[in-house]
Amino acid sequence: MEEPSLTFDEVKRMAEGIGMTRLTDEHLQQLLRATRVAQARRAALPVATLGPADEPAHVFRLAAEDSR
Amino acid sequence: MTDLSWLTVAEAAGLLRARKLSPVEYAKALIDRIERHDAKLNAFVRFTPDLALEDARRAEAEIMRGAWRGPFHGVPYGLKDIVDYAGLPTTAHSKILQANVAAADAAVTQKLRAAGGVFMGKLSTHEFAIGGPSFDLPWPPARNPWNRDHFCGGSSSGSGAATAAGFLPAAIGTDTGGSVRNPASMCGVAGIKPTYGLVSRRGVLPLAFSLDHVGALTRTVEDNALMLDLIAGHDSLDPGSSAHAKSGCTAELGRGVEGLRIGVIRHFYTRDMEADPEMTAGIDAAMRKLADLGAEVREIETAPLGEWVACNRTILTSEAFAVHEKWMRERPQDYGALARERLMAGAFVRASDYVNATRLRRTMTDKFHALFSGIDVAVTASSMDPACRIDDPKAIEYTYARQARAPFNVTGSPALSVPVGFSKAGLPLAMQIVGKPFSEALVYRVAHAYEQATQWVKRHPPVE
Repeated sequence: MEEPSLTFDEVKRMAEGIGMTRLTDEHLQQLLRATRVAQARRAALPVATLGPADEPAHVFRLAAEDSR
Repeated sequence: MTDLSWLTVAEAAGLLRARKLSPVEYAKALIDRIERHDAKLNAFVRFTPDLALEDARRAEAEIMRGAWRGPFHGVPYGLKDIVDYAGLPTTAHSKILQANVAAADAAVTQKLRAAGGVFMGKLSTHEFAIGGPSFDLPWPPARNPWNRDHFCGGSSSGSGAATAAGFLPAAIGTDTGGSVRNPASMCGVAGIKPTYGLVSRRGVLPLAFSLDHVGALTRTVEDNALMLDLIAGHDSLDPGSSAHAKSGCTAELGRGVEGLRIGVIRHFYTRDMEADPEMTAGIDAAMRKLADLGAEVREIETAPLGEWVACNRTILTSEAFAVHEKWMRERPQDYGALARERLMAGAFVRASDYVNATRLRRTMTDKFHALFSGIDVAVTASSMDPACRIDDPKAIEYTYARQARAPFNVTGSPALSVPVGFSKAGLPLAMQIVGKPFSEALVYRVAHAYEQATQWVKRHPPVE
């Protein structure tokens, strides 16, 4: 599914929402480009090949000494 | 006496142990070379000749009384400046960490110091091992010794440049998406990203926890195996460290490739991406050479390169942003432009995308490792192109993504970049040799057989 294209104002609001309030317009343009790149990478992930039980590569694991 | 700049670790170790070479004279020769030439290459962020001479004098006294510690005793080395050396700043080549003095040695630093190595200084990196080459940082970027107008790769830029330039026989680098193998490829040296968990990351500034590897850059394959042998091993203080017993990395050197099965992942550099014709020709010629030496060479297929890269970058940027979020809020202006933009890519990755990328990591890795039932090692391109000009941002942006290294950060496999010749413009060409987890000795065996059958390692860049 194609992502709706983000706008400068949207990415500015998103940045403010996570506390990134000191970004200049130049920084926000960078964030917009970077976020679009990340969205393209998401689209390239072959997630349709995953089954419901496919586990992440790293899962929480206790060491033996934690049972003591 | 041979020009000391080009001594290998193995050669130097023989001379030092036999007391035919003084560690102090060796260190002074390299100090002199660095002082004369590093202003052209910027390999060092912090050059430490006083510490080097202190180490060298200690090594000399110990060797003279017969207390030789091993192949790195009295041998100079450098550390990428995201690796801690107690009492010195670990800057990550960034304004943000200019005053960040390390309280303790990194695990690899401890091992090199315990082995009697001679510490020459901290080496240039891309900012936070991701943003470079950059001209808007407190230090200039390292340059390529084969042509200083060209990029030397990164992010372990200084490690590649210093080793290739004859400043050091060995250096430590790190690799999250290819950052040991990129400078190794661009500078014409050997660079290994070992199996994930083989070398401790303790005391190394993280880029992305589940993809970070500490590795070695040297001019020869034998030296690389010697250095990895020294720095490998379990560390209970590194949560990613493997309990798997390390095997001798030099154990199989000299055994040749007769009968070994080599799988070439050609689609990475001919179909998924189209490499520069000179790079493809260099790798093809290397495959013919290995076949001439008795290996069975055939093509193999794995997932498309773009899927590996998407998986690597989704994980990498998510984990990296977690490290950098506080600074991005408080000091965004203190990053260089390249690091800021590349790190920001992780700001809005959805949690489900990160988890799905790690789920894909497992399935893709399982399938990749299954290929090794029919082969002993795999070979593919490292960079798609020879080094571009360092002052051409468009060429940097274009070539930065044109690489086949990220798949092996995803799989955690050992992957070694070795030179396969030179372009018509005199810039290094390279291939990667990839093994099953913990099969470094076999990877080095193949690389060593190829290196011994060619003359690339005997060429030196025109630094003078």
